[in-house]
Formats: sequence, structure tokens, C-alpha cells
Amino acid sequence: MRNLLNFLIRYSSWFVFTFYVVVSCGLLFNRNPYQHHVFLTSAGAIAAGLHDVSSNITGYFSLRDINDDLQRQTATLQAEVLTLREQVRHYRETEIQDSLRAIDSVGKFNFIIATAINNSITRPYNYVTINKGKLDGIRPEMGVMDQNGVVGVVNVVSDHYARIISLLNPNFRLSCKLRGSDTFGSLVWDGDDPRRAILEELPKHTLFHKGDTIVTSGYSAVFPEGIPVGIIEGKARGADDNFFTLRIRLLTDFTALSTVKVISNTDLQEIRSIETDATGGQSEQ
Amino acid sequence: MAKEIIKYLLLFVVLVVVQVVVFNHMCLFNVAVPLVFIYFIIKLPVTLPVNWAMTVSFLLGLMVDIFSNTQGMNALACTVLAAIRLPMLRLYFPREEDMTNPEPSLRTLGPGVYMKYLITVVAVYCAMFFLIEAFTFHNWGLMLLRIGASTLLTFIILLAFDSLSAKTR
Repeated sequence: MRNLLNFLIRYSSWFVFTFYVVVSCGLLFNRNPYQHHVFLTSAGAIAAGLHDVSSNITGYFSLRDINDDLQRQTATLQAEVLTLREQVRHYRETEIQDSLRAIDSVGKFNFIIATAINNSITRPYNYVTINKGKLDGIRPEMGVMDQNGVVGVVNVVSDHYARIISLLNPNFRLSCKLRGSDTFGSLVWDGDDPRRAILEELPKHTLFHKGDTIVTSGYSAVFPEGIPVGIIEGKARGADDNFFTLRIRLLTDFTALSTVKVISNTDLQEIRSIETDATGGQSEQ
Repeated sequence: MAKEIIKYLLLFVVLVVVQVVVFNHMCLFNVAVPLVFIYFIIKLPVTLPVNWAMTVSFLLGLMVDIFSNTQGMNALACTVLAAIRLPMLRLYFPREEDMTNPEPSLRTLGPGVYMKYLITVVAVYCAMFFLIEAFTFHNWGLMLLRIGASTLLTFIILLAFDSLSAKTR
């Protein structure tokens, strides 16, 4: 017994060392971001509180860029409103009879406005923290966008904060298509540049031009169809035989992320349950 | 003794906050990331038992991990760094009993030895951190560039920290 105690005391630093290494490796190799514990992420109360305070200060720094983006979007929306008004007038004039029905897919998506309080772009796996949580109606696997395009998908939610898997995270693959066509591919970040990503698995017969816009496909319940994602810059590295691999310039400016919209889909539960029954739970966002 | 503990506690909190709020958002030329919180491990007194050094270093790494969403990367690297810190110091300064003050600094070690110690610790830490990062993500050329650039940047910032504390004394 005495020998055993002596042994333990003499080599205690090795035991302590091994213990800490095992604990941190356990954390490190738990690669699935959906299994991270809320207290060990930036959605935890203390971490989120600190980020909240610092973002209150730094939030003013990129206001000029955001303002420009908003102006541009307002202009586009205004143009769209004018076109739609024109169309409505046209319909009223041509079909006065009450055959027009309200489109029933309208109202399926709601937006929750939140502010990004922490955001990383330099790491291989990037996350964004926002200041809305469970009590504001945010649930895991909701899509997030800002005024320019897709930001990511919610993964860890606490009462007042949530952590988002950024588009700049290889764990997140986004199903995308060319605007105006139905051929779709899968967008993933390759870890090099926060302004660019890769669109993979685009069928070889697709016709595209440099400068074409990539939008969300709407094949998942997370994002509605047609949210802008990026612009084609050209072909990337050696493509295999059946698919194109394209380099995309992202529309979302991750270096100046501020106000984001969380997309809540009222049918999400229903669609998920169908998909889980059918495929055993593997689905792409 | 109590004064020393409070001093180190304050250093711990300040370094975590500074790292998380300021330096985490810094990335020079898309490669150089300053990892300044290891200043705490560098400054731990040489008389501190290695078990304690590893414990506080693990907690330091875990804190930074929680704030920056890096799940265990810094915790692992900090634990290893605390374990090999004293052997690294002995490379340059074999008789630590000669030190007037157990805290390694420009004054107690002399500028030459201290700078060698500082750059070794920083280089080892940056190498460990980016290697751990690269295990989960393959981009070797970028990784080597990041190790070199981050070591240099962190070293310069930590020397600036030292000159700050030297002036106040």
C-alpha cells in the first residue's frame, strides 16, 4: 500500500498530465458541432455576455459598409415593388372576375431579426454568435441570412443566445442552384479565403457564365428558394468527369456581419419528420 | 503570497479578455494570428509545482476555447506547454536557483536568455496549436506559413507587454 502511494505521488505529474490531455482530446475530437455542450460554446451565458458587451462597442465600426448594402437592397426592393405594383394593376385590369386565389405558400417563412455579437473568419471551423435564443423562438437548424445573402444555420441555442455554423465552416454544405435554372450543386467552404467558396457537384451539362448568380435551391426546409449566395468567378481545380467544380465569390460580407435574419419555417418539423422516416436522418442543409 | 495569487488571477482574467475581445479578431495578411494569452504560462513562477502549472494552464486554454469556439484545441496545447516549459527554460538558464525572483522576466533572466526563452515557448505553442488545427483540416503549406507568421507577431506583442510592465516598476 505504502509503495503504491509512493508510486502515485512520485509520478503524480504524469497522471495529471494524462488526465488533462485526455479531457482536451475528448473535447477536440468531438467534431460534430451539434453535440457541443452549450456551456462550452460562445452561446453560453458568460461567453455570450462578454461578446455582447464588446459588440456593443465594435458594432459601430462597420456601419458605413452595412449602410451601403442596405441602400442597395432598398433600391432593388423599391424596383421590385414598382414592378409588382405594375403587375397587380395589370391583373386588376384584365381579370376583374374573382378567380384570383391567394397563393397558399405565402406566410410559411417568418423572420426573426437578431444581431451578430461574435464572429470568426480566420479559423478552419467558423461560428457566429447572435443575441437571440430559445425564448425568442430560435431553434436548432434554422437558416440565417443577412441583407446580402446566406450566413449559416443555427446549431446551439441557449435561452437568450444562439450559435450559428457559419457558411465558412466545412461542416456546413448548402444546396444551391443557378438562378433561372434548376440544376443544383453543393456549396462548401475550402478554408482559404473568407470571401470565396466552392460549388461542387454541378452536372456537366449545365450552361453557365462567369458572373452568374448562385441562389439557394429550396430543396431543404431550412432556406426558402432563391436567396442569393454568391457569384460565379470561374472553374476551380481539376474537375472530375461528370461534374463541374466552380469558384464562387460569396455575396455575404463576413468581415462586416451585423444584423442578421433567422428564417423560421413553420413547416420545418413536418418536413423533417417525413425526411427522417424516408432516409434515416441524413439530409443536406 | 496572497498578493501574488491576486496578481496572477488578474493577469489571467485580463489576458483572456484581451485575447477574446481584441486579438481573436486580428489576422494579419490572413495568416498571422496573435496568441497572447500564453503570456500567463510564460510568467508562471518557476517554483510553482508542475501539477499546479498544468491545472491553471488547462483552465486558461479551456477559457479561451469557450470564448472562441475552438473546443479543446487551446486546452490541449496549453497543458502540453505547461509540462515542457521548465525543461525549455533549463536549456538556456540551467541554474534556476540563482534567480532573485521566481517569475521569469527581462530582469530576472537577463534580456538575452529571456528573449530566447520567450521565442522558444511562443514558437512551440504556435506549432502545437496550428498542428492540432491541421489534424482536422488539411492545408499544410498554409499551416507552415501560419506557424511562422503567428510566432513572429506573438513574440513582438509579448515583448511590448514586457516593456509596459518594466516601465511601471
